[in-house]
Amino acid sequence: MVVIAHPAITEDSIPRATLRAILGMRLQRWPGETPVKVFVLADETPEHATFSKSVLQVFPQQLRMAWDRQVFSGQGQYPEVVASTHEMLARVASTPGAIGYVKASEVTPNVRVLKIR
Amino acid sequence: MCVCSRFAKTRSRLLLAGCLLSWQTAGHALDLLDGDFQLHGFASLTLVTTTDNNFFGQSDNQISKDFSEVGVNASWRLTPALQLSGGLLSRRAGGTDDGGVRLDYGLIDWAPMSSEEGRAGIRVGRIKTAYGLYNTTRDVPFTRPSIILPQSIYFERTRNLTVSADGAEVYVERFGEGGTLSASFAYGQPQTDTEAAKVPLVGLDRPGKLDSKLAPDLQILYEGAGNRYRLAFTALRLDLKYQPGYRDILQAGRFRLTPLIFSAQYNAENWSLTSEYALRRTSITDFGPYFYNGTFDGQSYYVQGTYRLTPQWEALLRYDAFYADQNDRDGKDFAAATRLPGFTRFAKDWTVGLRFDVTPQFMLRAEAHFVDGTGFLAAQDNPNPQALRRYWDNFMLQASFRF
Repeated sequence: MVVIAHPAITEDSIPRATLRAILGMRLQRWPGETPVKVFVLADETPEHATFSKSVLQVFPQQLRMAWDRQVFSGQGQYPEVVASTHEMLARVASTPGAIGYVKASEVTPNVRVLKIR
Repeated sequence: MCVCSRFAKTRSRLLLAGCLLSWQTAGHALDLLDGDFQLHGFASLTLVTTTDNNFFGQSDNQISKDFSEVGVNASWRLTPALQLSGGLLSRRAGGTDDGGVRLDYGLIDWAPMSSEEGRAGIRVGRIKTAYGLYNTTRDVPFTRPSIILPQSIYFERTRNLTVSADGAEVYVERFGEGGTLSASFAYGQPQTDTEAAKVPLVGLDRPGKLDSKLAPDLQILYEGAGNRYRLAFTALRLDLKYQPGYRDILQAGRFRLTPLIFSAQYNAENWSLTSEYALRRTSITDFGPYFYNGTFDGQSYYVQGTYRLTPQWEALLRYDAFYADQNDRDGKDFAAATRLPGFTRFAKDWTVGLRFDVTPQFMLRAEAHFVDGTGFLAAQDNPNPQALRRYWDNFMLQASFRF
């Protein structure tokens, strides 16, 4: 799994701690003020589980709990759930500030791949 | 008059439930304005039966249906730095909560400072009180480890004082390589204007009222290794004054409550271990000869393990202990001074539970509590302390739904 972002994002790598903060819905802005827009696949998909565990290194149920705690206390929002890898690629390519993930073999040229540093 | 207000409450409850259902039929959680506006909610129904004593309604050797929770919340992110949020809650809980719809929280959250390394901001409005690991979402069944939270720390009885406060909260978060360090400091007016807030402190049928000073609340939280470790420290100070009513036998007394809570959680892939310890200094002064004045340190702790048997099934085992006064753990001195049973001053609760997530939106839970002591029981459901039984069991079934 690799992290993908909208092509206008200038970074080519991202610290894991920052990625966790973004996926944890705590960090809302890219450097340069572009709003972050997070796309994920449903919790029960194998892609989401692999991304959570290997790339983010957070168990998917812990990520879910962190989102729930924020949403139900008025401190944050959920990420947007997309139905398929195809939709993930389309939405990340077309939404400024978007971030998401796909299998490395499925990356298309209209999204930017972010390395973890 | 009474019928009228009851009718109004039932109507507002139905309205809330109706809204919830109609939103559900419209799809799942509603996201408008390209995801910047979100609407979510939950509803739960619980059946309770106890071998002795009453918990959440008339449960002694019968089934009480008097525990239910319905909530809806909306959030609107106006800019990356600015979010508006509000939540409504209707909660029925035996004699302690009547299901009236109230504003659970309503706030504006502004985070002017934000970078790859962290963020800082302020929340203003009605803010959920940071208190241990579970308090900010204590009424949301999906976020709890069990049907009821460990009562030694998260009393249902005195919940109103710590559920949310009107004021401001500043917060700072640092996203480090090892984990996230967060700190928040809130200063606000707790909710003391209800019978439910008054009764656990001064007892039933008191004509006076309680006023609270602005209460400070500090929490420091470290979440390490992708939330594998969660460590927290909370300190809260409540300072309440009693204003006697007409022909009151109580004088203008004062309560000062200073709970300190230490929380620790370890999360593995299929199991979690959680423990919280609270030291609660309580000082009760100036109530006069017809009240139990004094300063004492209460002690509470629990140790809880959950194990995920399959992705849908989770089992829970917990030991939860509460002592109102750690220098009088068995309540003997209290009993001698008041002629009330000593076992009303502690509660030791072994809990086993099972959670079944039928779908991500629908959850069923079953739970059994084997309890020694009645320290966390509500006077509203148990008006006669002499009728209480020291050893009692509590069985609960809960269905909850969310969107």
